Amino acid sequence: MSGRRGRGGGRAAGIRGPHSALTDFLAANNISAQEIRDSYRQRQQQAEAEAAENGEAEDNGEGPSIANDEEDLQAESSAMAAERTRKRKRNQEEAIAKIKKGKAAKKNAKKKNKGSDDGSDYDDVMDMYKKAGPLPGQLENCEVCDKRFTVTPYSKAGPDGGLLCTKCGKESAKEAKATDKASKPAVRKGRRKIESNRLDGLTFRGARTLQQLCIDTLAKHADDIEELGEMPEPIMNKLSEIFSKKRAMKSNTFKLFLQPDLDVVAIHEAAYLETEDYDQIFAIVPHLKKLSLRNCCQFKDSNVGYMIEKAKDLVDIQLLGANLVSNDKWVDLFIARGHDLRALKLEWLDAAFDDQAVEALTTFCPNLERLKLERCKQIGPDSIDAIARLEKLQHLTLCYQKVIPRDRVVNLIANVGPNLRTLCLERFIDPENEDGPNDDLLDVIHKTCTQLSKLRFSENNECSDAGYVNLFSDWSNPPLRYIDVNSTRDVDNSNPDGPEDAVGFGSAGFHALMQHSGSKLEYLDVSSCRHISHEQFAHIFSPEHTWPCLREINLSFCPVVDTEVIAGIFRSCPQIKKVVTFGCFEVQDVVVPRDIVLIGAPRAQNAIEQFGQVVMDFQEEFGEVQNPMGMNRIVPVMS
Amino acid sequence: MAADRKVTDYVTLVSNDGYEFKILRSAACIAGTIKKALDPTSGFREMEQNRVELPTINGVTLEKVCEYLYYNQKHAESKDVPDMEIQPELCLELLIAADYLDGE
Repeated sequence: MSGRRGRGGGRAAGIRGPHSALTDFLAANNISAQEIRDSYRQRQQQAEAEAAENGEAEDNGEGPSIANDEEDLQAESSAMAAERTRKRKRNQEEAIAKIKKGKAAKKNAKKKNKGSDDGSDYDDVMDMYKKAGPLPGQLENCEVCDKRFTVTPYSKAGPDGGLLCTKCGKESAKEAKATDKASKPAVRKGRRKIESNRLDGLTFRGARTLQQLCIDTLAKHADDIEELGEMPEPIMNKLSEIFSKKRAMKSNTFKLFLQPDLDVVAIHEAAYLETEDYDQIFAIVPHLKKLSLRNCCQFKDSNVGYMIEKAKDLVDIQLLGANLVSNDKWVDLFIARGHDLRALKLEWLDAAFDDQAVEALTTFCPNLERLKLERCKQIGPDSIDAIARLEKLQHLTLCYQKVIPRDRVVNLIANVGPNLRTLCLERFIDPENEDGPNDDLLDVIHKTCTQLSKLRFSENNECSDAGYVNLFSDWSNPPLRYIDVNSTRDVDNSNPDGPEDAVGFGSAGFHALMQHSGSKLEYLDVSSCRHISHEQFAHIFSPEHTWPCLREINLSFCPVVDTEVIAGIFRSCPQIKKVVTFGCFEVQDVVVPRDIVLIGAPRAQNAIEQFGQVVMDFQEEFGEVQNPMGMNRIVPVMS
Repeated sequence: MAADRKVTDYVTLVSNDGYEFKILRSAACIAGTIKKALDPTSGFREMEQNRVELPTINGVTLEKVCEYLYYNQKHAESKDVPDMEIQPELCLELLIAADYLDGE
């Protein structure tokens, strides 16, 4: 009470402390905030008294009850009483009436009182405050910044229960969002991103490597990098890969990868580069040994000319889609640089590069060890004969668009086979040959190739299962590291079940393959090999077999593969990292052990979601021995 | 672990500009190079002093490296780990440091 009195005195001497424009306005109209507040308190006490029903003599029977009470209080704070005029009393009564009508008046009163600084008063104010929130359309002081604002239905509540102005409300909403985010430990990425990572063979457990984080950040800021400085070559390549993937390899960023002391330039996605950019490579990197450009659409004759002139150390060339280079220029290149060339990879050439160019290639590049010609539309059977003359070949990859008579290919392998480490033959079929399945190709591989470690023999519908058995039985070749026999089956829409006698890689061939190469095999692709039976899969991946090196298996579109087979693979392949099962509808509810990626499996998506959480008992045995903190969790996907 | 009690729980990493970072041994050993240097069977001086000097890494970068090591340790078993923030200006040096420390 004394506090009130003191303040009342203060008011008499002039307003003290902060007061709002409204207070001034009300004062000018002879309305006192003090009164309104007092009347509130009085009603409050009255209610309390009534509730207690102890008639504590608040009502002295002096005048009308409300005014009376008021008077009573006023009397106690005697200094105040004198000040009050009758007019004011009337106002006061009006105010009380208002309070009775609605809570609106209370709010005003409270607001006015908020200006006061007395502790106990403030508590009272807070009480009032809690009892009634302002209605939309009314004015209120912001709880945070104390500014006046109009209350709307969207006004936010402050930390102490009050209302906030629009600006403060926005900020508090922002903060709330931030804390909300922070409290959620794992920000769930989109399903697409998760699937994308899974297809890339990325596992989710644990943090990503620091290197990977840095590379991603760099890719995000590709345009801001001025210079990469001295980077180890593997990192350069990784950066080049991510830049390519993000389509950030433009004329400006591309220069980051050109440094005078480099001997490798690999641009995996060069579609944005202009003709002049390619000349930069040879101008800036004089000692270039290995050049790899993919989608180099603007790589022209002039660039080849400049390359011949400048890049004297070049031994390894890979160009994908260099369609603006003419036949004559290819020949020029082979004549000028051919003797030093060790590796040549050309893909997706449809306008030029014909049999004559290959002829020149074999004539002028006698030292070629690695040759890859894929989807070059102009070349035909004559080029096969030419390649057969390359005696030093160790790695040969061919995929033709034109039909090649089988005997030419047989002749080719008979000539170059003995030295080969890698042999990839895609889609070598001879539709003119009508005399049914023919295993000549497999025969000649069996007889002449004795040093292979990687063999791809895919999309062939002529070789029989017996041919594969023959290939892998008593083969003097050491065990293979990589085998891909995908899509070796008969395709005939009018006869979807295939011929009576199985064509393609089947059960017996699979058995023979695993007998021959199982001990060293790292990569196995038998997708779309429809003649491998469930029994054979179950037998190969049964507990009594262990395939110690197998890291990646593709079983897509083998309809017999089921959950049992997949579980068997997890069990019998301790090194397995990736299993691909597109179109295997029998694979359901499979439990995928941690650090293994299962891709495809159309009916097991929900089960796979939890992958990485399960530690199989057989994993525990040797899992503990390995470094659980391995920093390199990216599954290497073999090429 | 009882035999390893002699080896301290914390090790010191020293940057080329003299900043020292004392961090948990288990976290430090996430980095392959540091792990090898501190290997109890190696007999390197680093092992005896529990102190690894990294003359190719400066203080700012090493601080970030330490942050990463703890981040990695914290999230070793969790799924969908949020990426650690890396300031773009640190990125290149950090990348080289990461390559060096991974020690593959």
